[in-house]
Amino acid sequence: MIEIGRRGRIIAWACAIPFLAVIFLFEVMPLAAVLTNSVFKEGVPSVLNYAEILGSRFYLGAFRVSFSISLLTALIALVVAFPIAIILRRMPGRVQDIILVFSNIGTNFTGYPLAFAFVILMGVSGSITLLLIEAGLVKDFNIYSTAGLVFVYSYFQILLGILLIFPALGAITPDIEEAAKLMGASRWLFWRRIGLPILAPSLAGALLLLFANAMGTYATAEALVGSGANLVTIRIGELTAGDVFSDPNLADTMATLLVIILIIPIVAAQFLLKPKDSNA
Amino acid sequence: MGLVFAVQVLPIAAVALNGFATEWAGSVLPVGYTTQYMSQLFADPRFTQAVGNSLLVAVGSLVVTSTICVPAILVAHCYFPILDRWMGALIILPYAVPSIVLALGLLRLYSGNYGVVLNGTPWVLIFGYIPLAASLYYVPIKNNLRAIALTEIFEAGRLVGASDLAIMRRIVIPSIMPGLVVGLVMNFTLAISDFVYANLLVGGHFPTLQIFIGVLSGGSGRLISALITAYFAVVLIATSIVIWATSRKIAS
Repeated sequence: MIEIGRRGRIIAWACAIPFLAVIFLFEVMPLAAVLTNSVFKEGVPSVLNYAEILGSRFYLGAFRVSFSISLLTALIALVVAFPIAIILRRMPGRVQDIILVFSNIGTNFTGYPLAFAFVILMGVSGSITLLLIEAGLVKDFNIYSTAGLVFVYSYFQILLGILLIFPALGAITPDIEEAAKLMGASRWLFWRRIGLPILAPSLAGALLLLFANAMGTYATAEALVGSGANLVTIRIGELTAGDVFSDPNLADTMATLLVIILIIPIVAAQFLLKPKDSNA
Repeated sequence: MGLVFAVQVLPIAAVALNGFATEWAGSVLPVGYTTQYMSQLFADPRFTQAVGNSLLVAVGSLVVTSTICVPAILVAHCYFPILDRWMGALIILPYAVPSIVLALGLLRLYSGNYGVVLNGTPWVLIFGYIPLAASLYYVPIKNNLRAIALTEIFEAGRLVGASDLAIMRRIVIPSIMPGLVVGLVMNFTLAISDFVYANLLVGGHFPTLQIFIGVLSGGSGRLISALITAYFAVVLIATSIVIWATSRKIAS
């Protein structure tokens, strides 16, 4: 930290105030609005919204399906992205930059474009479906299903996994690897006894963020399966913009429950992911 | 590695092929190729409008977000460690709070119930993306800032009579340029590929490319493939321009 005089202090605060104002107006206030609406029913304060969701097999089912898909795709992404990130680490800096920028474009390749691409490849008469049928591996494959969602989610989850794990690999410095090699450790032994234990907190953190990312995915699921998928975000979207099922307060209640489910592990992950020299 | 890369590129290649195919059903590859759908798309005024709208929002978001976030990140890091810690926490929020939840809140707040109408205008997108994009600047810029001996630089600079503003401009800002480039590129992709905010908050009032893709998705498969291919071309070209323009600035 650098000491400054009174005048400098005022100028410096003036630089920070627009940012704080925007965060307040476009992040804190919207969250507060959702939370407030969730405890109102037909204009009067009530917990009926919560009772309705927690007592409904349909809505609880949405939480269960979202949870399973998110956990599964987070695990798939972690297992696939980890070795890729390790290989990427050994590439020249320029190549690393380019791959990371493209991974970022890929993680944002969601919604209608992504759903449509997968329908072309793996839909009823998609190229990959046809190849697999010709090879006699499958009889048919329904992309518009929970299994289909797992495939499509895995696409952007793996890319996000690379983006999340890559920086953490900085903790495995060349001298640690050298030391292990000198003492006769094989690659396998190195990762099992040294590499993985060092990275374990970061990997756990990455897993949580991947899980949260899948829980919050709306556009892709909406584009691929629409209201047929019983997911939390799909139900929220339907309660907000639907013609038949519109109930804004109930939508806000589901949204609040979703945030509660996510915020507890994420706050925990913050402590796990924090670099050791964070007081710098 | 190559295999994984191929799998990641495959969906994009499939859409591009489909956009140029004459007929593609019941076979692994298309029967023939044509530019008919591409020209049909470019002749559609809705397409031109959507490209214009998307670029306006994306460029607007770049300008507004970087002007608001970067000074705050700098002063927090240099002068206000408590504020810095708070920013670190605020910035993780978009991960814990899905965009559809924030969009719901914005929908309630800025539809006129409280005297402010932003929904239906590009402004709600440009400002709404700031909390989502802040971490895209914060993380890489903080990495750059941690790598320089800030206290020593300020002591030495003040000793030779330089003002803090001059030290910022001549030394600190040039050293965060690589992080800023990363932030700008990621901010751009975020803004141009968003569907959730655009769909709930502006929809048909200000159709962006993503909205237009959603509108077409019920119709001809060939035409929408052409549209998605064009969308990808826009993202790639614009990303390259941002990288090119900003890395040239560093070199000079």
